[in-house]
Amino acid sequence: MARTELAPTISKRRKGNPFGRALRQEERTAWLFILPALAALLLFVFYPMVKAFLISFQNYNMVGGTRSFNGIDNYRTLMNDSEFLASLRHSLFFAVIVIPVQTAVSLGLAMLIQRARRFTGLFRTAYFIPVVISTSVAATVFKLIYSKDFGILNQVLKSIGLPITNFLSNPDTAMYGIIILGIWKAAGFFMIIFLAGLNNISQDLYEAARVDGAGRAQQFFRITLPMLNRTMAFVVIMTTIDAIKLAGLVFVLTNGGPNGSTQTVVYYIWKMAFQQMQMGYGTAAAFVLFAIVLIISLAQMTYFNKKADY
Amino acid sequence: MWQMRLALKYIIMTLIAIICIIPIVWMVTGSLRPYEELFQYSSSLNWHLFVPVKFTWVNYKNVIFNDTNPFLRYIWNTAIVAGSVTGIVLVVSALAAFAFAKLRFRGKSIFFALFMSAMIIPGEVTLVPNYLLMNNFGWVNSYASLIVPSALSVFGIFLLRQFFADIPNEILEAAKIDGASIMRVFLRIIVPAAVPALITLGLMTFLGNWDSYLWPLIVINDDKKQMLQVAIASFSSLAGTDWSKILAASTIATAPILILFLFLQRYYIQGITMSGVKG
Repeated sequence: MARTELAPTISKRRKGNPFGRALRQEERTAWLFILPALAALLLFVFYPMVKAFLISFQNYNMVGGTRSFNGIDNYRTLMNDSEFLASLRHSLFFAVIVIPVQTAVSLGLAMLIQRARRFTGLFRTAYFIPVVISTSVAATVFKLIYSKDFGILNQVLKSIGLPITNFLSNPDTAMYGIIILGIWKAAGFFMIIFLAGLNNISQDLYEAARVDGAGRAQQFFRITLPMLNRTMAFVVIMTTIDAIKLAGLVFVLTNGGPNGSTQTVVYYIWKMAFQQMQMGYGTAAAFVLFAIVLIISLAQMTYFNKKADY
Repeated sequence: MWQMRLALKYIIMTLIAIICIIPIVWMVTGSLRPYEELFQYSSSLNWHLFVPVKFTWVNYKNVIFNDTNPFLRYIWNTAIVAGSVTGIVLVVSALAAFAFAKLRFRGKSIFFALFMSAMIIPGEVTLVPNYLLMNNFGWVNSYASLIVPSALSVFGIFLLRQFFADIPNEILEAAKIDGASIMRVFLRIIVPAAVPALITLGLMTFLGNWDSYLWPLIVINDDKKQMLQVAIASFSSLAGTDWSKILAASTIATAPILILFLFLQRYYIQGITMSGVKG
Protein backbone atom coordinates (compact mmCIF):
# COMPACT_ATOMS: atom_id res chain seq x y z
CA MET A 1 0.00 0.00 0.00
CA ALA A 2 2.73 2.43 1.02
CA ARG A 3 4.35 2.55 -2.39
CA THR A 4 1.18 3.83 -3.98
CA GLU A 5 1.24 7.06 -2.01
CA LEU A 6 2.40 10.48 -2.92
CA ALA A 7 3.13 11.87 0.48
CA PRO A 8 6.59 10.45 1.26
CA THR A 9 8.18 12.09 -1.75
CA ILE A 10 6.48 15.36 -1.05
CA SER A 11 7.65 15.49 2.51
CA LYS A 12 11.14 14.53 1.45
CA ARG A 13 11.24 17.47 -0.86
CA ARG A 14 10.16 19.72 1.98
CA LYS A 15 13.05 18.34 4.05
CA GLY A 16 10.73 18.64 7.01
CA ASN A 17 9.13 16.16 9.32
CA PRO A 18 6.59 13.73 7.80
CA PHE A 19 3.71 15.82 9.14
CA GLY A 20 4.71 18.87 7.18
CA ARG A 21 2.43 21.27 5.42
CA ALA A 22 2.17 19.25 2.22
CA LEU A 23 1.01 16.22 4.11
CA ARG A 24 -1.53 18.20 6.11
CA GLN A 25 -2.83 19.64 2.90
CA GLU A 26 -2.98 16.21 1.31
CA GLU A 27 -4.94 14.92 4.28
CA ARG A 28 -7.37 17.82 4.04
CA THR A 29 -7.89 17.20 0.33
CA ALA A 30 -8.41 13.51 0.96
CA TRP A 31 -11.15 14.29 3.45
CA LEU A 32 -12.83 16.64 1.00
CA PHE A 33 -12.69 13.92 -1.64
CA ILE A 34 -14.33 11.23 0.45
CA LEU A 35 -16.78 13.61 2.10
CA PRO A 36 -19.67 13.27 -0.41
CA ALA A 37 -19.44 9.49 -0.40
CA LEU A 38 -19.11 9.39 3.37
CA ALA A 39 -22.13 11.64 3.86
CA ALA A 40 -24.23 9.42 1.60
CA LEU A 41 -22.95 6.32 3.39
CA LEU A 42 -23.94 7.65 6.79
CA LEU A 43 -27.25 9.16 5.72
CA PHE A 44 -28.58 6.47 3.40
CA VAL A 45 -27.00 3.28 4.71
CA PHE A 46 -25.86 3.40 8.33
CA TYR A 47 -28.45 5.74 9.76
CA PRO A 48 -31.32 3.79 8.11
CA MET A 49 -29.77 0.56 9.32
CA VAL A 50 -29.83 1.74 12.93
CA LYS A 51 -33.29 3.23 12.45
CA ALA A 52 -34.53 -0.03 10.92
CA PHE A 53 -33.26 -1.92 13.93
CA LEU A 54 -35.24 0.39 16.25
CA ILE A 55 -38.37 0.31 14.10
CA SER A 56 -38.35 -3.47 14.09
CA PHE A 57 -39.15 -3.33 17.83
CA GLN A 58 -42.06 -0.97 17.33
CA ASN A 59 -45.64 -1.14 16.31
CA TYR A 60 -45.24 1.44 13.57
CA ASN A 61 -48.23 2.26 11.41
CA MET A 62 -47.83 4.96 8.78
CA VAL A 63 -51.51 5.51 8.12
CA GLY A 64 -52.77 5.55 11.66
CA GLY A 65 -49.75 7.60 12.66
CA THR A 66 -49.27 5.34 15.63
CA ARG A 67 -45.98 4.09 16.91
CA SER A 68 -45.27 2.35 20.12
CA PHE A 69 -42.49 0.21 21.46
CA ASN A 70 -43.55 -3.39 21.70
CA GLY A 71 -40.33 -5.24 22.43
CA ILE A 72 -39.77 -8.47 20.56
CA ASP A 73 -43.47 -8.89 19.77
CA ASN A 74 -42.89 -8.42 16.04
CA TYR A 75 -40.27 -11.14 15.96
CA ARG A 76 -42.36 -13.45 18.11
CA THR A 77 -45.40 -12.99 15.88
CA LEU A 78 -43.27 -13.59 12.77
CA MET A 79 -42.16 -16.98 14.06
CA ASN A 80 -45.82 -18.05 14.15
CA ASP A 81 -46.94 -16.18 11.03
CA SER A 82 -47.73 -18.95 8.58
CA GLU A 83 -47.77 -16.55 5.64
CA PHE A 84 -44.28 -15.30 6.48
CA LEU A 85 -42.96 -18.81 6.99
CA ALA A 86 -44.50 -19.86 3.68
CA SER A 87 -42.84 -16.92 1.92
CA LEU A 88 -39.54 -17.97 3.46
CA ARG A 89 -40.09 -21.49 2.17
CA HIS A 90 -40.83 -20.20 -1.32
CA SER A 91 -37.65 -18.12 -1.39
CA LEU A 92 -35.55 -21.01 -0.14
CA PHE A 93 -37.16 -23.40 -2.64
CA PHE A 94 -36.28 -20.98 -5.44
CA ALA A 95 -32.72 -20.74 -4.12
CA VAL A 96 -32.25 -24.49 -3.69
CA ILE A 97 -33.18 -25.13 -7.32
CA VAL A 98 -31.57 -22.08 -8.88
CA ILE A 99 -28.16 -22.29 -7.15
CA PRO A 100 -27.04 -25.66 -8.59
CA VAL A 101 -28.86 -25.43 -11.92
CA GLN A 102 -27.89 -21.88 -12.75
CA THR A 103 -24.29 -22.37 -11.64
CA ALA A 104 -23.99 -25.50 -13.79
CA VAL A 105 -25.57 -23.76 -16.77
CA SER A 106 -23.29 -20.71 -16.45
CA LEU A 107 -20.18 -22.86 -16.14
CA GLY A 108 -21.30 -24.93 -19.11
CA LEU A 109 -21.84 -21.83 -21.23
CA ALA A 110 -18.46 -20.44 -20.23
CA MET A 111 -16.73 -23.69 -21.20
CA LEU A 112 -18.58 -23.81 -24.52
CA ILE A 113 -17.33 -20.39 -25.58
CA GLN A 114 -14.00 -20.30 -23.78
CA ARG A 115 -11.79 -21.27 -26.69
CA ALA A 116 -11.79 -18.56 -29.30
CA ARG A 117 -13.09 -20.12 -32.49
CA ARG A 118 -15.18 -18.73 -35.24
CA PHE A 119 -18.31 -16.94 -33.98
CA THR A 120 -17.55 -17.44 -30.29
CA GLY A 121 -17.80 -13.67 -29.77
CA LEU A 122 -21.21 -13.71 -31.38
CA PHE A 123 -22.36 -16.56 -29.16
CA ARG A 124 -21.08 -14.79 -26.07
CA THR A 125 -23.11 -11.73 -26.97
CA ALA A 126 -26.19 -13.86 -27.60
CA TYR A 127 -25.88 -15.59 -24.22
CA PHE A 128 -25.38 -12.31 -22.48
CA ILE A 129 -28.30 -10.40 -24.01
CA PRO A 130 -30.92 -11.66 -21.50
CA VAL A 131 -28.88 -9.99 -18.74
CA VAL A 132 -29.44 -6.51 -20.15
CA ILE A 133 -33.15 -7.03 -20.76
CA SER A 134 -34.83 -5.26 -17.88
CA THR A 135 -36.78 -7.21 -15.28
CA SER A 136 -40.25 -5.91 -16.13
CA VAL A 137 -39.80 -6.39 -19.85
CA ALA A 138 -38.44 -9.91 -19.44
CA ALA A 139 -41.21 -10.85 -17.03
CA THR A 140 -43.89 -9.34 -19.25
CA VAL A 141 -42.67 -11.17 -22.33
CA PHE A 142 -42.40 -14.45 -20.44
CA LYS A 143 -45.89 -13.99 -19.08
CA LEU A 144 -47.07 -13.97 -22.68
CA ILE A 145 -44.81 -16.85 -23.67
CA TYR A 146 -46.28 -18.97 -20.85
CA SER A 147 -49.84 -17.99 -21.78
CA LYS A 148 -52.07 -20.94 -22.59
CA ASP A 149 -53.92 -19.14 -25.38
CA PHE A 150 -51.14 -17.94 -27.57
CA GLY A 151 -47.82 -18.46 -25.80
CA ILE A 152 -45.10 -20.10 -27.83
CA LEU A 153 -43.98 -22.35 -24.98
CA ASN A 154 -47.13 -24.44 -25.15
CA GLN A 155 -46.81 -24.74 -28.92
CA VAL A 156 -43.35 -26.15 -28.46
CA LEU A 157 -44.54 -28.55 -25.75
CA LYS A 158 -47.45 -29.66 -27.90
CA SER A 159 -45.31 -30.24 -30.95
CA ILE A 160 -43.03 -32.59 -29.05
CA GLY A 161 -46.01 -34.41 -27.57
CA LEU A 162 -46.04 -32.99 -24.05
CA PRO A 163 -49.22 -31.87 -22.27
CA ILE A 164 -49.91 -28.17 -22.39
CA THR A 165 -50.42 -26.15 -19.24
CA ASN A 166 -50.52 -22.61 -18.09
CA PHE A 167 -47.52 -22.62 -15.83
CA LEU A 168 -48.41 -19.48 -13.98
CA SER A 169 -52.02 -20.16 -13.06
CA ASN A 170 -51.27 -23.45 -11.37
CA PRO A 171 -49.96 -23.09 -7.78
CA ASP A 172 -47.87 -26.24 -8.19
CA THR A 173 -45.97 -25.05 -11.23
CA ALA A 174 -45.96 -21.25 -10.97
CA MET A 175 -42.64 -21.19 -9.12
CA TYR A 176 -41.02 -23.22 -11.90
CA GLY A 177 -42.15 -20.55 -14.34
CA ILE A 178 -40.27 -17.99 -12.26
CA ILE A 179 -37.24 -20.27 -11.92
CA ILE A 180 -36.97 -20.73 -15.70
CA LEU A 181 -37.14 -17.00 -16.27
CA GLY A 182 -34.67 -16.34 -13.45
CA ILE A 183 -32.09 -18.69 -14.94
CA TRP A 184 -32.68 -17.42 -18.47
CA LYS A 185 -31.99 -13.91 -17.29
CA ALA A 186 -29.02 -14.43 -14.95
CA ALA A 187 -26.96 -17.30 -16.42
CA GLY A 188 -25.13 -15.01 -18.87
CA PHE A 189 -23.89 -12.79 -16.08
CA PHE A 190 -22.22 -15.60 -14.19
CA MET A 191 -20.98 -17.10 -17.45
CA ILE A 192 -18.78 -14.00 -17.83
CA ILE A 193 -17.38 -14.46 -14.33
CA PHE A 194 -16.66 -18.15 -14.96
CA LEU A 195 -15.06 -17.22 -18.27
CA ALA A 196 -12.61 -14.95 -16.47
CA GLY A 197 -11.90 -17.72 -13.97
CA LEU A 198 -11.32 -20.27 -16.73
CA ASN A 199 -8.96 -17.96 -18.55
CA ASN A 200 -6.85 -17.68 -15.41
CA ILE A 201 -6.12 -21.40 -15.37
CA SER A 202 -2.77 -22.12 -16.94
CA GLN A 203 -2.97 -24.24 -20.09
CA ASP A 204 0.22 -26.03 -18.94
CA LEU A 205 -1.83 -27.90 -16.36
CA TYR A 206 -4.06 -29.40 -19.03
CA GLU A 207 -1.03 -30.13 -21.18
CA ALA A 208 0.60 -32.04 -18.34
CA ALA A 209 -2.64 -33.90 -17.62
CA ARG A 210 -2.95 -34.95 -21.25
CA VAL A 211 0.59 -36.22 -21.27
CA ASP A 212 -0.29 -38.30 -18.22
CA GLY A 213 -3.27 -39.68 -20.15
CA ALA A 214 -6.09 -37.94 -18.27
CA GLY A 215 -9.44 -37.93 -20.06
CA ARG A 216 -11.72 -34.92 -20.43
CA ALA A 217 -13.82 -35.79 -17.41
CA GLN A 218 -10.74 -36.24 -15.29
CA GLN A 219 -9.32 -32.93 -16.44
CA PHE A 220 -12.58 -31.25 -15.51
CA PHE A 221 -12.80 -32.74 -12.01
CA ARG A 222 -9.08 -32.70 -11.20
CA ILE A 223 -8.04 -29.39 -12.72
CA THR A 224 -10.90 -27.14 -13.78
CA LEU A 225 -13.11 -27.43 -10.71
CA PRO A 226 -10.36 -27.18 -8.07
CA MET A 227 -8.70 -24.26 -9.87
CA LEU A 228 -12.07 -22.50 -10.07
CA ASN A 229 -12.60 -22.69 -6.32
CA ARG A 230 -12.40 -18.93 -5.73
CA THR A 231 -14.60 -18.09 -8.70
CA MET A 232 -17.05 -20.80 -7.70
CA ALA A 233 -17.24 -19.37 -4.18
CA PHE A 234 -18.04 -15.92 -5.54
CA VAL A 235 -20.66 -17.21 -7.97
CA VAL A 236 -22.39 -19.46 -5.44
CA ILE A 237 -22.50 -16.80 -2.73
CA MET A 238 -23.77 -14.11 -5.11
CA THR A 239 -26.38 -16.45 -6.59
CA THR A 240 -27.57 -17.42 -3.13
CA ILE A 241 -27.96 -13.82 -2.00
CA ASP A 242 -29.79 -12.83 -5.19
CA ALA A 243 -32.02 -15.91 -5.07
CA ILE A 244 -33.11 -15.46 -1.48
CA LYS A 245 -33.86 -11.79 -2.17
CA LEU A 246 -35.94 -12.61 -5.26
CA ALA A 247 -38.76 -10.11 -5.77
CA GLY A 248 -38.73 -8.16 -9.03
CA LEU A 249 -39.71 -11.04 -11.30
CA VAL A 250 -42.48 -12.06 -8.91
CA PHE A 251 -44.05 -8.62 -8.94
CA VAL A 252 -44.56 -8.66 -12.67
CA LEU A 253 -44.93 -12.34 -13.47
CA THR A 254 -47.38 -13.54 -10.81
CA ASN A 255 -47.87 -10.82 -8.20
CA GLY A 256 -47.29 -13.47 -5.55
CA GLY A 257 -50.11 -15.68 -6.83
CA PRO A 258 -51.74 -17.95 -7.62
CA ASN A 259 -52.92 -18.53 -4.12
CA GLY A 260 -49.79 -17.02 -2.60
CA SER A 261 -47.69 -19.84 -4.03
CA THR A 262 -44.98 -17.52 -5.38
CA GLN A 263 -44.94 -15.00 -2.58
CA THR A 264 -41.29 -14.58 -1.62
CA VAL A 265 -39.83 -12.98 1.51
CA VAL A 266 -39.02 -9.64 -0.08
CA TYR A 267 -42.47 -9.55 -1.67
CA TYR A 268 -43.98 -10.22 1.75
CA ILE A 269 -41.86 -7.48 3.34
CA TRP A 270 -43.05 -5.02 0.73
CA LYS A 271 -46.66 -6.11 1.19
CA MET A 272 -46.52 -5.73 4.96
CA ALA A 273 -44.64 -2.44 5.03
CA PHE A 274 -46.15 -0.61 2.08
CA GLN A 275 -49.51 -2.24 1.38
CA GLN A 276 -50.68 -2.89 4.91
CA MET A 277 -48.48 -0.08 6.23
CA GLN A 278 -47.23 -2.18 9.14
CA MET A 279 -43.74 -0.81 8.91
CA GLY A 280 -42.41 -2.16 12.17
CA TYR A 281 -43.56 -5.65 11.35
CA GLY A 282 -42.23 -5.50 7.78
CA THR A 283 -38.86 -4.26 8.98
CA ALA A 284 -38.63 -7.03 11.54
CA ALA A 285 -39.23 -9.49 8.70
CA ALA A 286 -36.44 -7.76 6.76
CA PHE A 287 -34.06 -8.28 9.68
CA VAL A 288 -34.91 -11.95 9.85
CA LEU A 289 -34.13 -12.13 6.12
CA PHE A 290 -30.84 -10.27 6.69
CA ALA A 291 -29.84 -12.71 9.42
CA ILE A 292 -30.64 -15.70 7.23
CA VAL A 293 -28.68 -14.33 4.28
CA LEU A 294 -25.73 -13.50 6.52
CA ILE A 295 -25.64 -16.94 8.16
CA ILE A 296 -25.87 -18.77 4.84
CA SER A 297 -23.18 -16.57 3.25
CA LEU A 298 -20.82 -17.08 6.19
CA ALA A 299 -21.40 -20.84 6.11
CA GLN A 300 -20.65 -20.90 2.39
CA MET A 301 -17.51 -18.81 2.85
CA THR A 302 -16.24 -21.16 5.54
CA TYR A 303 -16.94 -24.14 3.32
CA PHE A 304 -15.08 -22.73 0.34
CA ASN A 305 -12.16 -21.56 2.48
CA LYS A 306 -11.80 -25.00 3.97
CA LYS A 307 -11.79 -26.52 0.52
CA ALA A 308 -9.06 -24.10 -0.54
CA ASP A 309 -6.76 -25.49 2.17
CA TYR A 310 -6.23 -28.76 0.35
CA MET B 1 -14.64 -38.04 -34.85
CA TRP B 2 -13.03 -34.75 -33.93
CA GLN B 3 -15.06 -32.92 -36.53
CA MET B 4 -18.28 -34.60 -35.42
CA ARG B 5 -17.61 -33.37 -31.95
CA LEU B 6 -17.04 -29.83 -33.11
CA ALA B 7 -20.20 -29.89 -35.21
CA LEU B 8 -22.19 -31.17 -32.24
CA LYS B 9 -20.75 -28.40 -30.12
CA TYR B 10 -21.82 -25.79 -32.63
CA ILE B 11 -25.32 -27.25 -32.81
CA ILE B 12 -25.66 -27.09 -29.02
CA MET B 13 -24.29 -23.55 -28.96
CA THR B 14 -26.75 -22.49 -31.62
CA LEU B 15 -29.70 -24.06 -29.82
CA ILE B 16 -28.81 -22.23 -26.62
CA ALA B 17 -28.37 -19.00 -28.54
CA ILE B 18 -31.88 -19.48 -29.96
CA ILE B 19 -33.30 -19.97 -26.48
CA CYS B 20 -31.59 -16.77 -25.34
CA ILE B 21 -32.70 -14.69 -28.27
CA ILE B 22 -36.12 -16.02 -29.19
CA PRO B 23 -38.18 -14.27 -26.49
CA ILE B 24 -36.72 -10.98 -27.64
CA VAL B 25 -37.31 -11.73 -31.32
CA TRP B 26 -40.86 -12.78 -30.49
CA MET B 27 -41.35 -9.54 -28.57
CA VAL B 28 -40.19 -7.42 -31.51
CA THR B 29 -42.12 -9.28 -34.21
CA GLY B 30 -45.21 -9.50 -32.01
CA SER B 31 -45.16 -5.73 -31.66
CA LEU B 32 -45.25 -5.37 -35.44
CA ARG B 33 -48.48 -7.28 -36.02
CA PRO B 34 -52.17 -6.70 -35.33
CA TYR B 35 -53.58 -8.01 -32.05
CA GLU B 36 -55.75 -10.72 -33.65
CA GLU B 37 -52.78 -12.25 -35.37
CA LEU B 38 -51.11 -13.13 -32.07
CA PHE B 39 -53.90 -15.66 -31.48
CA GLN B 40 -54.66 -16.64 -35.04
CA TYR B 41 -51.38 -18.34 -35.80
CA SER B 42 -50.66 -19.76 -32.40
CA SER B 43 -52.54 -23.04 -32.73
CA SER B 44 -49.54 -24.86 -34.10
CA LEU B 45 -45.84 -24.42 -34.64
CA ASN B 46 -45.46 -22.55 -37.85
CA TRP B 47 -43.54 -19.83 -39.53
CA HIS B 48 -46.13 -17.19 -38.75
CA LEU B 49 -45.65 -17.65 -35.06
CA PHE B 50 -42.81 -15.22 -35.59
CA VAL B 51 -43.22 -13.56 -38.93
CA PRO B 52 -46.11 -11.12 -39.13
CA VAL B 53 -48.64 -11.75 -41.89
CA LYS B 54 -49.88 -8.21 -41.86
CA PHE B 55 -47.01 -5.95 -40.93
CA THR B 56 -48.11 -2.84 -39.01
CA TRP B 57 -46.76 0.09 -37.02
CA VAL B 58 -50.10 0.81 -35.42
CA ASN B 59 -49.16 -0.62 -32.02
CA TYR B 60 -46.29 1.83 -31.77
CA LYS B 61 -48.56 4.68 -32.73
CA ASN B 62 -51.05 3.63 -30.08
CA VAL B 63 -48.42 3.33 -27.42
CA ILE B 64 -46.63 6.58 -28.16
CA PHE B 65 -49.70 8.78 -28.69
CA ASN B 66 -51.68 7.59 -25.74
CA ASP B 67 -52.62 10.05 -23.03
CA THR B 68 -53.35 7.54 -20.30
CA ASN B 69 -50.08 5.70 -20.81
CA PRO B 70 -47.57 8.16 -22.22
CA PHE B 71 -44.67 5.81 -22.82
CA LEU B 72 -42.32 8.31 -24.36
CA ARG B 73 -42.74 10.31 -21.20
CA TYR B 74 -41.83 7.35 -19.01
CA ILE B 75 -38.76 6.76 -21.11
CA TRP B 76 -37.80 10.40 -20.79
CA ASN B 77 -38.35 10.33 -17.00
CA THR B 78 -36.25 7.21 -16.68
CA ALA B 79 -33.48 8.56 -18.91
CA ILE B 80 -33.31 11.76 -16.85
CA VAL B 81 -33.16 9.93 -13.53
CA ALA B 82 -30.77 7.21 -14.69
CA GLY B 83 -28.57 9.81 -16.41
CA SER B 84 -28.39 12.05 -13.33
CA VAL B 85 -27.63 9.14 -11.03
CA THR B 86 -24.90 7.95 -13.38
CA GLY B 87 -23.26 11.38 -13.49
CA ILE B 88 -23.36 11.81 -9.72
CA VAL B 89 -22.17 8.28 -9.01
CA LEU B 90 -19.19 8.76 -11.32
CA VAL B 91 -18.10 12.00 -9.60
CA VAL B 92 -18.67 10.82 -6.03
CA SER B 93 -17.06 7.41 -6.58
CA ALA B 94 -14.08 8.78 -8.50
CA LEU B 95 -13.26 11.34 -5.82
CA ALA B 96 -13.48 8.82 -2.99
CA ALA B 97 -11.67 6.11 -4.95
CA PHE B 98 -8.80 8.50 -5.72
CA ALA B 99 -8.44 9.39 -2.04
CA PHE B 100 -8.42 5.70 -1.09
CA ALA B 101 -5.99 4.73 -3.85
CA LYS B 102 -3.44 7.52 -3.89
CA LEU B 103 -3.75 9.90 -0.96
CA ARG B 104 -2.55 9.48 2.59
CA PHE B 105 -4.76 10.31 5.53
CA ARG B 106 -5.38 9.02 9.01
CA GLY B 107 -7.91 6.22 9.39
CA LYS B 108 -7.84 5.39 5.70
CA SER B 109 -8.05 1.63 6.03
CA ILE B 110 -10.75 1.88 8.69
CA PHE B 111 -12.89 4.10 6.50
CA PHE B 112 -12.35 1.89 3.48
CA ALA B 113 -13.46 -1.12 5.51
CA LEU B 114 -16.49 0.87 6.63
CA PHE B 115 -17.46 1.51 3.03
CA MET B 116 -16.96 -2.09 2.02
CA SER B 117 -19.00 -3.34 4.98
CA ALA B 118 -21.99 -1.53 3.48
CA MET B 119 -21.96 -4.12 0.69
CA ILE B 120 -23.45 -6.74 2.98
CA ILE B 121 -26.38 -4.56 4.07
CA PRO B 122 -29.27 -5.47 1.78
CA GLY B 123 -31.37 -2.59 0.52
CA GLU B 124 -34.49 -4.44 1.65
CA VAL B 125 -33.62 -3.85 5.30
CA THR B 126 -33.28 -0.10 4.92
CA LEU B 127 -36.35 0.22 2.69
CA VAL B 128 -38.70 1.49 5.39
CA PRO B 129 -36.33 3.96 7.11
CA ASN B 130 -35.22 5.32 3.74
CA TYR B 131 -38.83 5.84 2.77
CA LEU B 132 -39.48 7.64 6.07
CA LEU B 133 -36.39 9.77 5.44
CA MET B 134 -37.69 10.75 1.99
CA ASN B 135 -41.02 11.52 3.61
CA ASN B 136 -39.31 13.82 6.14
CA PHE B 137 -37.39 15.59 3.40
CA GLY B 138 -40.65 16.06 1.50
CA TRP B 139 -39.17 14.16 -1.42
CA VAL B 140 -41.91 11.58 -1.90
CA ASN B 141 -43.14 11.84 -5.47
CA SER B 142 -40.09 13.81 -6.53
CA TYR B 143 -37.07 12.67 -8.49
CA ALA B 144 -34.79 13.75 -5.66
CA SER B 145 -35.89 10.60 -3.85
CA LEU B 146 -34.76 8.50 -6.80
CA ILE B 147 -31.52 10.36 -7.45
CA VAL B 148 -29.97 11.45 -4.13
CA PRO B 149 -30.04 8.15 -2.21
CA SER B 150 -28.49 6.45 -5.26
CA ALA B 151 -25.50 8.79 -5.26
CA LEU B 152 -23.39 6.30 -3.34
CA SER B 153 -22.08 3.23 -5.13
CA VAL B 154 -19.85 1.22 -2.84
CA PHE B 155 -19.16 -1.14 -5.71
CA GLY B 156 -18.16 1.87 -7.84
CA ILE B 157 -15.62 3.06 -5.24
CA PHE B 158 -14.21 -0.45 -5.06
CA LEU B 159 -13.99 -0.80 -8.85
CA LEU B 160 -12.37 2.60 -9.48
CA ARG B 161 -9.91 2.21 -6.62
CA GLN B 162 -8.61 -0.94 -8.33
CA PHE B 163 -8.07 0.97 -11.56
CA PHE B 164 -6.54 4.04 -9.92
CA ALA B 165 -4.10 1.95 -7.90
CA ASP B 166 -2.67 0.60 -11.17
CA ILE B 167 -1.73 4.07 -12.42
CA PRO B 168 2.03 4.39 -11.84
CA ASN B 169 3.07 6.80 -9.10
CA GLU B 170 5.99 8.11 -11.12
CA ILE B 171 3.59 10.03 -13.33
CA LEU B 172 1.86 11.58 -10.33
CA GLU B 173 5.14 12.48 -8.69
CA ALA B 174 6.40 14.13 -11.84
CA ALA B 175 3.28 16.27 -11.91
CA LYS B 176 3.74 17.14 -8.26
CA ILE B 177 7.30 18.25 -8.87
CA ASP B 178 6.00 20.52 -11.62
CA GLY B 179 3.85 22.11 -8.96
CA ALA B 180 0.45 20.66 -9.87
CA SER B 181 -2.16 20.63 -7.11
CA ILE B 182 -3.83 17.39 -6.05
CA MET B 183 -7.05 18.44 -7.75
CA ARG B 184 -5.13 19.10 -10.94
CA VAL B 185 -3.41 15.71 -10.77
CA PHE B 186 -6.84 14.14 -10.33
CA LEU B 187 -8.43 15.96 -13.25
CA ARG B 188 -5.53 15.93 -15.69
CA ILE B 189 -3.90 12.56 -15.03
CA ILE B 190 -6.13 10.20 -13.09
CA VAL B 191 -9.45 10.85 -14.81
CA PRO B 192 -8.16 10.63 -18.40
CA ALA B 193 -6.23 7.47 -17.59
CA ALA B 194 -9.31 5.84 -16.12
CA VAL B 195 -11.77 6.53 -18.94
CA PRO B 196 -12.43 2.83 -19.64
CA ALA B 197 -13.14 2.22 -15.97
CA LEU B 198 -15.45 5.22 -15.85
CA ILE B 199 -17.35 3.99 -18.91
CA THR B 200 -17.69 0.59 -17.25
CA LEU B 201 -19.06 2.01 -14.04
CA GLY B 202 -21.25 4.49 -15.90
CA LEU B 203 -22.78 1.78 -18.06
CA MET B 204 -23.45 -0.53 -15.12
CA THR B 205 -24.99 2.30 -13.10
CA PHE B 206 -27.16 3.47 -15.97
CA LEU B 207 -28.47 0.00 -16.76
CA GLY B 208 -29.05 -0.72 -13.08
CA ASN B 209 -31.15 2.41 -12.72
CA TRP B 210 -32.97 1.84 -15.97
CA ASP B 211 -33.98 -1.48 -14.45
CA SER B 212 -34.96 -0.28 -10.98
CA TYR B 213 -38.46 -1.24 -9.95
CA LEU B 214 -39.11 -1.61 -6.23
CA TRP B 215 -37.85 1.79 -5.03
CA PRO B 216 -39.74 3.86 -7.66
CA LEU B 217 -42.82 1.77 -6.95
CA ILE B 218 -42.60 2.88 -3.32
CA VAL B 219 -41.63 6.56 -3.57
CA ILE B 220 -43.41 7.66 -6.77
CA ASN B 221 -47.20 7.69 -6.73
CA ASP B 222 -47.90 10.23 -9.42
CA ASP B 223 -48.56 8.35 -12.68
CA LYS B 224 -47.11 11.07 -14.85
CA LYS B 225 -43.82 10.92 -13.00
CA GLN B 226 -43.56 7.16 -12.97
CA MET B 227 -40.50 5.22 -14.08
CA LEU B 228 -40.52 2.95 -17.10
CA GLN B 229 -40.30 -0.42 -15.35
CA VAL B 230 -43.20 0.30 -13.02
CA ALA B 231 -45.23 1.63 -15.95
CA ILE B 232 -44.66 -1.50 -18.03
CA ALA B 233 -45.42 -3.76 -15.09
CA SER B 234 -48.68 -2.01 -14.30
CA PHE B 235 -49.58 -1.80 -17.98
CA SER B 236 -49.12 -5.55 -18.35
CA SER B 237 -51.21 -6.40 -15.30
CA LEU B 238 -54.27 -4.46 -16.49
CA ALA B 239 -57.08 -6.84 -17.31
CA GLY B 240 -57.96 -7.15 -20.97
CA THR B 241 -54.91 -5.32 -22.16
CA ASP B 242 -53.97 -5.31 -25.78
CA TRP B 243 -50.93 -7.57 -25.69
CA SER B 244 -49.41 -6.45 -28.95
CA LYS B 245 -49.39 -2.92 -27.54
CA ILE B 246 -47.54 -4.16 -24.48
CA LEU B 247 -45.02 -5.82 -26.75
CA ALA B 248 -44.56 -2.52 -28.57
CA ALA B 249 -44.02 -0.70 -25.28
CA SER B 250 -41.53 -3.34 -24.16
CA THR B 251 -39.66 -3.06 -27.44
CA ILE B 252 -39.42 0.72 -27.10
CA ALA B 253 -38.14 0.30 -23.55
CA THR B 254 -35.55 -2.26 -24.57
CA ALA B 255 -34.18 -0.70 -27.75
CA PRO B 256 -32.08 2.09 -26.15
CA ILE B 257 -30.32 -0.12 -23.63
CA LEU B 258 -29.79 -2.91 -26.11
CA ILE B 259 -28.11 -0.51 -28.53
CA LEU B 260 -26.05 1.02 -25.71
CA PHE B 261 -24.99 -2.45 -24.64
CA LEU B 262 -24.08 -3.70 -28.11
CA PHE B 263 -21.77 -0.74 -28.63
CA LEU B 264 -20.19 -0.73 -25.18
CA GLN B 265 -20.37 -4.43 -24.38
CA ARG B 266 -16.59 -4.73 -23.94
CA TYR B 267 -16.64 -2.30 -21.00
CA TYR B 268 -19.60 -3.92 -19.34
CA ILE B 269 -18.05 -7.36 -19.51
CA GLN B 270 -14.79 -5.99 -18.18
CA GLY B 271 -16.63 -4.56 -15.18
CA ILE B 272 -18.26 -7.88 -14.35
CA THR B 273 -14.96 -9.68 -14.76
CA MET B 274 -13.27 -7.34 -12.29
CA SER B 275 -15.99 -7.74 -9.72
CA GLY B 276 -15.63 -11.50 -9.92
CA VAL B 277 -11.90 -12.01 -10.10
CA LYS B 278 -10.62 -9.37 -7.75
CA GLY B 279 -13.66 -9.26 -5.50
